[in-house]
Amino acid sequence: MNPHQQPPAGNDSEPQLRPHSYDGIQEYDQRLPNWWLNTLYGAIVFWIAYWFVYMIAGLVAPPGAQVDAEMARIAALKLADSIDVTNDNKFWEMSTNPVFVDAGRQTFNSLCIPCHLPSMRGKSESPTAIGPDLTDMAWIHGGTPKEIYTTVSKGVIVKGMLAWEPVIGQKKTVEVVAYVLSRHQKGEPITVQAENK
Amino acid sequence: MSEDPRPAPPRPTRDTPHRPVRDSVTTINTDGSRYFLYPADARGWFLSARRLSAYVLIAVYLLLPWVPVNGHPAVFLDVAERRFHFLGYTLAAQDSWLLFFGVSGLGFALFFLTALFGRLWCGWACPQTVFLDHVYRRIERWIEGDAPARRALKLAPMSGAKFARRLFKHTLYILASLAITHLFLAYFVSLPELWLFMHETPGEHWSAFLFVFIAAGLLYFNFAWFREQLCIVICPYGRLQSALTDDHTLVIGYDARRGEPRGKLRHDGTEDLPRAAAHQATVFAPPPATTGDCIACNRCVQVCPTGIDIRHGLQLECIGCAACIDACDEVMIKVRRPTGLIRYDSLAGLSGGVTRWIRPRIILYGVLLAVGATVAIWSFSTVKPANFLVYRMSGAAYFVGSEEVRDQFMVRIVNKRTVPATFLVSTEGVPAGIRQTGFAGPVTLAPMAELVSPLVLLVDREHYNGPFKFSVKVTDAARTFALTREVEFMGPDPRLLHEDDEERKHPAKKKGDAHD
Repeated sequence: MNPHQQPPAGNDSEPQLRPHSYDGIQEYDQRLPNWWLNTLYGAIVFWIAYWFVYMIAGLVAPPGAQVDAEMARIAALKLADSIDVTNDNKFWEMSTNPVFVDAGRQTFNSLCIPCHLPSMRGKSESPTAIGPDLTDMAWIHGGTPKEIYTTVSKGVIVKGMLAWEPVIGQKKTVEVVAYVLSRHQKGEPITVQAENK
Repeated sequence: MSEDPRPAPPRPTRDTPHRPVRDSVTTINTDGSRYFLYPADARGWFLSARRLSAYVLIAVYLLLPWVPVNGHPAVFLDVAERRFHFLGYTLAAQDSWLLFFGVSGLGFALFFLTALFGRLWCGWACPQTVFLDHVYRRIERWIEGDAPARRALKLAPMSGAKFARRLFKHTLYILASLAITHLFLAYFVSLPELWLFMHETPGEHWSAFLFVFIAAGLLYFNFAWFREQLCIVICPYGRLQSALTDDHTLVIGYDARRGEPRGKLRHDGTEDLPRAAAHQATVFAPPPATTGDCIACNRCVQVCPTGIDIRHGLQLECIGCAACIDACDEVMIKVRRPTGLIRYDSLAGLSGGVTRWIRPRIILYGVLLAVGATVAIWSFSTVKPANFLVYRMSGAAYFVGSEEVRDQFMVRIVNKRTVPATFLVSTEGVPAGIRQTGFAGPVTLAPMAELVSPLVLLVDREHYNGPFKFSVKVTDAARTFALTREVEFMGPDPRLLHEDDEERKHPAKKKGDAHD
């Protein structure tokens, strides 16, 4: 064969023109690459398999159910880790535990001192302070550990005391209560006087 | 028929050389199967330059995770910590809006360069071309030989030797793919972390393992088999470029005016002398022959990695690799004709006109690039080392006490730097007689730490004149930057407050006031 002879045209039949013409533009009807078609067929097969596995056979839980299960698992973990906030004695125990008290002091110093002052003495220390004294035995919204916890976690909205538990979580809320209680004695005589501090 | 001594030309099959036509993609046969190319070697100035550019790019890619700048790898996209280090410059997740300017700036730069120089990116800088031409094809060339040898090996029946060569080649392909993907992962997890991953079982870091496994598999598939199909069928930039170029854009083209009509080189040498003389003189004088300069040697087709015939004109498959320029120049020198029958030129230049470099398109893209680059430089250079937010505490908007009106805010500061930083928070534009609690002194934040703390403002009743706007400002200790947020001090209508005060002072007057 002559070495300079042109090899034959790549596609032995001429491509067919489609019958339509838009703005004078016509197009060829070319065969799509097989690899391209195979990805399409593969996607269809995948869709059917996915649909069967997830929706019909239930071999794998649907994504929504997976999320629900994971959320339930997290909720259960949280519940198992949660602290018994109905038991006054537990709070008193924590108030003597330096780990809880130190953690509570840190949270208190970053969030509570603008109103209650670093000394925790509030209005007793400075009449211009916003928050009441937390070290004396006179309480406005109840002075048992349970009640203090409720005040911190749910807040006193009308007075500007924020509901802190949604902000900092239960653990930190409990630690702050432990820190406040560390300035008190179990069994000390407390009084509750509504609002004229 | 029996009188014709020549055998009938064989029907084209998937494995015989095809003649490229303009209406179809050479690498896709009429039955949809793949026509695998065996591009021949081209040697010349452009190959050397491209190889140099590719080696520099590969070296940069391989070295960036290794070179420390300011205590971090030169490029380290720390996804786990959401800190992104670029040559000693650290960005936080809060700065991700900059990505818009980075990407759009890059886009405008590509617009501009494409309108001027065509598919320079594809042929010289695209990772697909860089790795394919300068890593994978080099491996293939080294193991399986030149184009005819590779085609012969493909057609040869399977044998021990063929299998061994193929196995060796694919092993090297896989090793190269693994090296590229491991380095890629190092951009995101850093090298020490990657080293740790590699020493532990895949189960410990199954997501990283899966990523490398799948990415290396895709690279291997792409570079071993898919190759030019990515550029022709998949790459959106390749398609987009058709809309960015015009008749004055630099492309690789064939000078049909000089080359046509093609004619076989005559071996009697009759044409050699005048052409040699023309070659000596730099200006080409048309030869007295009836044929053009193209000797129809098909060398430009043989070297093309996308299987086109550049003599058909500009085609979408062309990635601008310049292999055909090198091939044609080599032949032209051999036949003592001027080089540049195939060259970088605009379509206007190739058809005898003059390339206009400055055109409306260039000006438009240039302006877009200038605007984009200016905004990008401005935004990158003014990134603050902290994130700062002031918001009202939940609950009531304001509190009225016996002495004062009180507004409560939360201030959130994020130290975006990798060193501890001290911040000062102050208020600006507050009226006299206001008191502030919280943020009395400077606060120090650990690297990348976040602080949320209350800021409470109180105005004495007698000084209270109604709601007002003020700003909260944060600076660092050295005052190298400042961020301010405007917030509103909210409160009741001062008249109501003063009426209330009057009532409290003079309870008896209450009735009289009511009648007023």
